[in-house]
Amino acid sequence: MKLFTSKDDLIRWLNSLLRERIIVAPVRVQELTVFQPISKVEEIAFDFGNTTLSPKGWFLPPTETLFSVQNNDGQPKLVPAVIEKDAVIFGLHPCDARGIALMDSPFLQEPGDALYRERRARTALIGLACHQAQPECFCTSMGSAPNDPSHVDILLTEVEAGYIVQVVTEKGERLLPKGFVEYKGALPTPPEPQAIPIKEVIPAIRELFNNPYWERLADRCLHCNICAYVCPTCYCFDVRDYSDRGNLERVRSWDSCQSSGFTRIAGGYDLRPTKGARLRQRFYHKLLYFPEQFQDVACVGCGRCIKACPVNIDIREVMSDLQQLEAKSES
Amino acid sequence: MKLEYQPKIVGFLCNWCSYAGADMAGTSRMSYAPNIRIIRVPCSGRVDPLLVLKCFQRGTDGVLVSGCHPGDCHYNEGNYHARRRFALLRDFLDYLGIARERLRVEWVSASEGQKFAETVASFTAELAELGPRSES
Amino acid sequence: MDSELIHQIGNQARDLLESGTVKGVIGYERASDGLTARPFFAYEPAAVERLIFDETCSYNLVKYLLDKKDEKMAVVVKPCDSRTINLLLNEEQIKRDMVFIIGVTCPGVVETSWNHKGQTLQARCQTCQLSKPLVYDFLAEHEPVERLEGELYLDIQEMETRPVTVRRAFWLEQFERCIRCYACRQVCPGCYCPECFAEQLDPLWMGIRIAPKENELWQTIRTFHLAGRCVGCNECERVCPVDIPLSLLNRKLEKEVKELFAFQAGLNPEELPPFATFKKEEKLGFEE
Repeated sequence: MKLFTSKDDLIRWLNSLLRERIIVAPVRVQELTVFQPISKVEEIAFDFGNTTLSPKGWFLPPTETLFSVQNNDGQPKLVPAVIEKDAVIFGLHPCDARGIALMDSPFLQEPGDALYRERRARTALIGLACHQAQPECFCTSMGSAPNDPSHVDILLTEVEAGYIVQVVTEKGERLLPKGFVEYKGALPTPPEPQAIPIKEVIPAIRELFNNPYWERLADRCLHCNICAYVCPTCYCFDVRDYSDRGNLERVRSWDSCQSSGFTRIAGGYDLRPTKGARLRQRFYHKLLYFPEQFQDVACVGCGRCIKACPVNIDIREVMSDLQQLEAKSES
Repeated sequence: MKLEYQPKIVGFLCNWCSYAGADMAGTSRMSYAPNIRIIRVPCSGRVDPLLVLKCFQRGTDGVLVSGCHPGDCHYNEGNYHARRRFALLRDFLDYLGIARERLRVEWVSASEGQKFAETVASFTAELAELGPRSES
Repeated sequence: MDSELIHQIGNQARDLLESGTVKGVIGYERASDGLTARPFFAYEPAAVERLIFDETCSYNLVKYLLDKKDEKMAVVVKPCDSRTINLLLNEEQIKRDMVFIIGVTCPGVVETSWNHKGQTLQARCQTCQLSKPLVYDFLAEHEPVERLEGELYLDIQEMETRPVTVRRAFWLEQFERCIRCYACRQVCPGCYCPECFAEQLDPLWMGIRIAPKENELWQTIRTFHLAGRCVGCNECERVCPVDIPLSLLNRKLEKEVKELFAFQAGLNPEELPPFATFKKEEKLGFEE
């Protein structure tokens, strides 16, 4: 079903949603655009390439308290985390929506992550189709597209006088106000991001585990956490218990396979002691282990890692190198 | 009920001079403001900027670092290093928005009980003027 | 820039690799955007043709030597980067005979990020006092460039004139954005502790929480651990994904250390760093 809304009506609609729900939307903070809960609809940035950080932080926050145990004078009391309000993520691009859908695989498979599951159930996704592809985008090669409605509840596409509103799910339908008229026109042609050949990546990467390529590539890697943190599908985390005067808090924070010590175990032994081993892990998880488990490559082609990596480790280049390496060794 | 603001002070006192000086204030029955909580360290040079910053983060309004007079350090040089370190830290914290008056460094010898009591009194009064840490 | 410079660097690199004097040459190559630069490790003479040098080569390559301590490496070094060499020599993290320094006279570099090249020289280049590296084994030279005489600390001084409460609000806002990716630490040549205070479990200074208090502790103490050691390469600010103005922190301490102790890091590998020494009679504001 295709409807139409003017920009004014859209703002009115968002204001009514804001009364009952949290709206997480792209907001301009100095030179950056980031997803954050808004207090006024005017804060929303409508024109942006893509945000520095993906909206995965709503479902898997950089830091959260899973539960706390209060001392309560010797009678310990368990206080679970509470999700206060329903939410809407507004303005995410189709690549990011696909990222969230990919994260569902590890987080919702039984028994599932309770907090993630509840947030997911109580959050609607109103996506915004891209009218421009960025130089770092390659979503069409990774299973998405600038106008892909697959993983959102509603998809908005900007046109001359307002926005086309595609209602995708029942959850989306329930969000709609009355009064949007039917849109009888055609959807605009989407932009075309760069296409990259990836057909042979998985067979190639399967054979290249011991190849010196990884140590060479890792020469310039800083082993910071930037790629994993900006990525819509990276989801490694660390859980620690902190106590303070008898009160305990179980805290979960983002972590990354890139940092040294990620695989350090009791006794000091490190399963990935070299830079190459750590860098290799990220690509193997995304391009081999995740698809082997969940049938999808864990990359949506948003290009954030390409833009943010301080030393220009470019996943498109890596995928092309891998395919070339394997082709050369086969011949 | 309006509670009057009582500054919370953490004092890092070196064992050999300042802590003994504070002890002397006590044995001489000098009274000084109870706002200070004393932590005994071997030397003023042991006081880590991390300790100072964590004090401020956990609700302390002022931090006092007290050691032997320069030249009299029990470990010969510890207080010289402390002097350099805290000169820089005081300025840096001020730059970050923690007023320089909140970090105080005093040289108090073991016989200067009076000086210790006066230091605490004046520091408490100054912090009362300045207000709680969270506001400045 | 200069194809003459690249020529000189390339020839030197090729000689070093062909003779087996070094295991590898750390330099720059063109990035995947076709516009900016990225670090490049050449291990074979044939790879030397990928080396470049132009105004996008703002990276400080010297830290990579710390990952390659077992092998002799060559590294391309701008004048500012040479201060890093002196720092690491001073702190005994590298051995002079394990590095071949390919020095480059540098007319300055521009701000870069992926697919973006700035039009004006970086602020630190505009006030740079070094026309050639302080230490090198080979110097790739071109005609000398006129040094600009800019004021070094105007932005720091402006920050100092703001009221304490305004500064507080400013820094809290900046630290709120930090996601503790630790890129600043990873890129910094002065940050090489096998166990960073941020990861210490006992005492537990910070923990894993990514929140304003912990971020403030992280930024403040990392900067303070670099007092008298930061050589002003500005890599930390370049790599920060959320644009925290780290040079406003590091250069503040650089200014104070200069004023209080008349010391600047990385100029002389033999000079004792300011916190490893003291002057008995110095007056630092804590007089009786």
